[in-house]
Amino acid sequence: MKMLMKEWKLCMHPTGYIMLLCTALILVPGYPYGVSCFYMGLAIYFICLTARENHDATYTLTLPVSRGDAVRARILFCAALEVIDLLLIALFILIKQLIGNMPNPAGLDAGVALVGEAMILFAIFNMIFFPLYYRDINKPGKAFGIAAVAVFLWIILEVVGTYTISFLRDILDQPDPQYMGDKMLFTLGGLALFLGGTALSIQRSAKKFEEVDLSL
Amino acid sequence: MGSEMKSPLTVQGLCKEYPAFKLQDVSFSLVPGTITGFIGRNGAGKTTTINSVLSFVHPDAGEITFFGMPWEDHDREIKEKIGFVSAGMTYYTRKKLKAITAVTKTFYPAWDDEAYRQYMSAFGLDEEKTPAELSNGMKIKYALALALSHGAELLILDEPTSGLDPVSREELVEVFLKLRDEGKTVFFSTHITSDLEKCADRILFLQQGVLKADDDLDSFRNTWRIAECAGEIPETVRTAARGICRTRDGYTVLIRKEDAAGTETREASLEEIMIHLEKEAEKE
Repeated sequence: MKMLMKEWKLCMHPTGYIMLLCTALILVPGYPYGVSCFYMGLAIYFICLTARENHDATYTLTLPVSRGDAVRARILFCAALEVIDLLLIALFILIKQLIGNMPNPAGLDAGVALVGEAMILFAIFNMIFFPLYYRDINKPGKAFGIAAVAVFLWIILEVVGTYTISFLRDILDQPDPQYMGDKMLFTLGGLALFLGGTALSIQRSAKKFEEVDLSL
Repeated sequence: MGSEMKSPLTVQGLCKEYPAFKLQDVSFSLVPGTITGFIGRNGAGKTTTINSVLSFVHPDAGEITFFGMPWEDHDREIKEKIGFVSAGMTYYTRKKLKAITAVTKTFYPAWDDEAYRQYMSAFGLDEEKTPAELSNGMKIKYALALALSHGAELLILDEPTSGLDPVSREELVEVFLKLRDEGKTVFFSTHITSDLEKCADRILFLQQGVLKADDDLDSFRNTWRIAECAGEIPETVRTAARGICRTRDGYTVLIRKEDAAGTETREASLEEIMIHLEKEAEKE
């Protein structure tokens, strides 16, 4: 908890708060809503960039904590932001459904399945970005670039899939509460991927970070 | 030997190899309650040694113990007893000092608020300021205040006086002396040897990754003499030379004290010893 407080008090970048607000893009008609998850990835990149500029690693590693603790705290802090992002996504989906939900021509509609899709996107980002970032904490841009490409490829697949893949087009992209059982299963699968992927990301990142020589 | 008498830091056979640099078999032990100066030119391996000691980099070989404890399995305990200050590093430049302190103190069970206030006051530091608003000397003092408030017994400082004006450097040297009086052990790397002449008890001299000297300051200086030659360097002096530097009026030649019999010499400063030995190493 001390480490999470440290992340929040010293490493949080203002874009983290701003990007949380980007979940309101779900209220925009005809928008690929998965992009709001990319914005959170961008905020995480800024957090890591700010950490580098502020010599956060040196500060943290002189505290009585291990390298593994430092990795866990950073990833869990970012995952907490993602969870808040997910809650806001769910909130804006609810608002949109209350004020009248229009079909979305640019990917999944604002419905239950979109929460699952967001969790998959965060899982992809976490599994790629953090292990690459902890190979060399002085180069967060490279890790972010690769993770962002993967996230966008998945978003493109989702958008195209709502026209071409029957499970997406005929089930997940149908208005709620149709096919709610399938959508809930999909969302639970997304949750499992998010939790498992983030846990795996912590494990792999900590291992990498233990091995590297830091050029501070 | 009681635990309180154990060396704050013992390094044995430390090796670290990079593509263009090799730290070779560095061994030393710090004496509690002393100031040890770690000298060598830029690139000699001082920072690599400190980074290895603090596990920022993984040594290829060697044993490192703090207060008799190896880093593995005791890293948290060790970190509670040491403080690290680097001149080139300022943490969270836009955060107020009080915000950095508020976070830092939560990690140390032995944190002493009263001591913190005293050090902040003694160093003339204002908690409402950010590191960006502090001079380089004040940044070092803030880092020291943090380290001392959590009860650090060993202070490891990497080039703390680099980039400081002479008055600020003098102030820091006085702080180091005061800390030594309080029983703290200070280990600081520098290439500004004049600072060490004023405060160091011991000297470690690192040259091209090899520890060339580990001695108390006076003994180290007394090992060497300087011969000033106005014109040509006499053959007897040249034969004994361990380093020759060009000066406005001729040459200065570093020779060992035992080789100086019959030659007019004077005391060598730490800076002269280092420069002459580096010149000689370049020739080799």
